[in-house]
Amino acid sequence: MNRVQGVDVIDTVVFHNFKALRNTSLRLSLFNLVIGPNGSGKTSLIQALQQLRTLSQFPLGDAAMQSRSGGPEIAFTFTAPYSGIVARLGCTSDVLCDFLHVDCLDTASWLEVKCRLATLRTYVLDHDAMAQSSVRADSAVLESNGGNLAAVLAARQHEAPLAFARMEAELLRLLPEFTGIVIEDDSGGRVRFSLGIDGAGEPVRAENLSQGALYLLGLLVLSFDPTPPAVVCIEEIDRGVHPRMLREVRDVLYRLSYPESFGEKREPVQVITTTHSPYMLDQFRDHPDEVVITQKLGHEARFERLSDRLDLPELLREGTLGDMWFSGVLGGVPEQQ
Amino acid sequence: MKVAFLSESPADEAVLRVLVDAILGEPAQITPAGFRARGWPNVLQVLPAVIRHLHFNTDVETLVVTCDSDDSPVHTEAHEAPQYYHPHCRMCQLRAVFRQTSKRFPIAHGRLKVRRVVGVAVPALEAWLLCGRDSDVSEGAWINGQLAGRPPYTRAELKFRIYQTERPSLPHEIECALRETERHRRDLRRLEYDFPGFAALMKDLKSPA
Ligand SMILES: [Zn+2]
Repeated sequence: MNRVQGVDVIDTVVFHNFKALRNTSLRLSLFNLVIGPNGSGKTSLIQALQQLRTLSQFPLGDAAMQSRSGGPEIAFTFTAPYSGIVARLGCTSDVLCDFLHVDCLDTASWLEVKCRLATLRTYVLDHDAMAQSSVRADSAVLESNGGNLAAVLAARQHEAPLAFARMEAELLRLLPEFTGIVIEDDSGGRVRFSLGIDGAGEPVRAENLSQGALYLLGLLVLSFDPTPPAVVCIEEIDRGVHPRMLREVRDVLYRLSYPESFGEKREPVQVITTTHSPYMLDQFRDHPDEVVITQKLGHEARFERLSDRLDLPELLREGTLGDMWFSGVLGGVPEQQ
Repeated sequence: MKVAFLSESPADEAVLRVLVDAILGEPAQITPAGFRARGWPNVLQVLPAVIRHLHFNTDVETLVVTCDSDDSPVHTEAHEAPQYYHPHCRMCQLRAVFRQTSKRFPIAHGRLKVRRVVGVAVPALEAWLLCGRDSDVSEGAWINGQLAGRPPYTRAELKFRIYQTERPSLPHEIECALRETERHRRDLRRLEYDFPGFAALMKDLKSPA
């Protein structure tokens, strides 16, 4: 497993009676691609992380947690030097986890974990929202749906011009039909963006860009962030992207987790992401340790690491990872009615 | 010569373009979008369609197909015997697909069939790139390792030696690959000698259609 001491944040997530996740655990790597059928727990995993972030920012609760034993619970452990901490999300129902209990001998350590968790971000990018103009001041972090993309671009260009320039150069390499990012004031303190094109043509306004171009720009904004979150969760990373471009999308995300490989000088970001594309899965042939398969059997779901499949080398002689997933050999497929 | 490529990645194709030009001694005319397979055995699956498409719908003269051998049996001199076919050797398999697919083709665009050019990199294209730089890397070394049950290096190690990371970005991969290819572009003899899977490609490319 690709584990660099002390760089990723969350070590394991253990689910107990939470929706379909009756009794399963997942050891997270630095980079995690989660695949599986709808309703198998991919989104539950990301929601649990989001809720951990939210509740971790409140003062810690007391022993009231004990009285809820037997109900749904999600427990988290953390990587060294925080491996002594266990954080438990208590849930009043399948859909509401509203209590956090932390077992920790050392309060200072928890405060450090809390600081890192505060930066955790989850994304389900929405191209319609991303194309809108946004309030210039609303630029601290990219919103969950990417809705303030224009404001974040404007702030990045102003506050981190070098990072902006590198991100723009990467965008133009990936989408060579464009010549630059154009940011303009809109009415009412709002800002909007377009992408310039060659020749005398008018720049293409955000609302006229393809979905794929908007998603790609959103991912680039995240991966070229000079001060990124400690943990980033992104759903459906393959949307709107040509299958031959998926390697590039993978690399945009790898930049977050493996900054050194991409010439970045900052801490690695723990990434948890999902896809339904067999072609995206093909990009992980050399790194099966980064792939998590959610298996659904009846009303119960569990997580498996692809690298735990002992017959993987033989399977890869007979087909690509994507083919094997689609065929059902790897599991992680919808059940037949 | 009008040449099309079927390869596993844009980086592989970039290398092959340089090598093919070096073998021909002049720039080939290359089809704009290279054909791509998603690794083995997808190469085998798409190859018949690519051959038929090129034969009937284009005037391309030559199709260059390359793949990595990974841990499959390496094509040896013994496989060259008439009628010999090794069912797990990728060179034998790819050549058989060419043979079977174009067996009863009518003349189209003034030619009987598209020239077959097959190369198999043992165990991966990165070994070709390291040839002449890292003296322990050769097809013979790999075969000896297979016989001894102890491979001399892994795919991942070869990649790391070139890219200095297990996860190169595509531009970095292409840049490093082309830098190493430059040595071969100037002089192909070492690559031809140390890698029969490349020598076979050279021979195919120089053969009459
Ligand atoms: Zn053979």
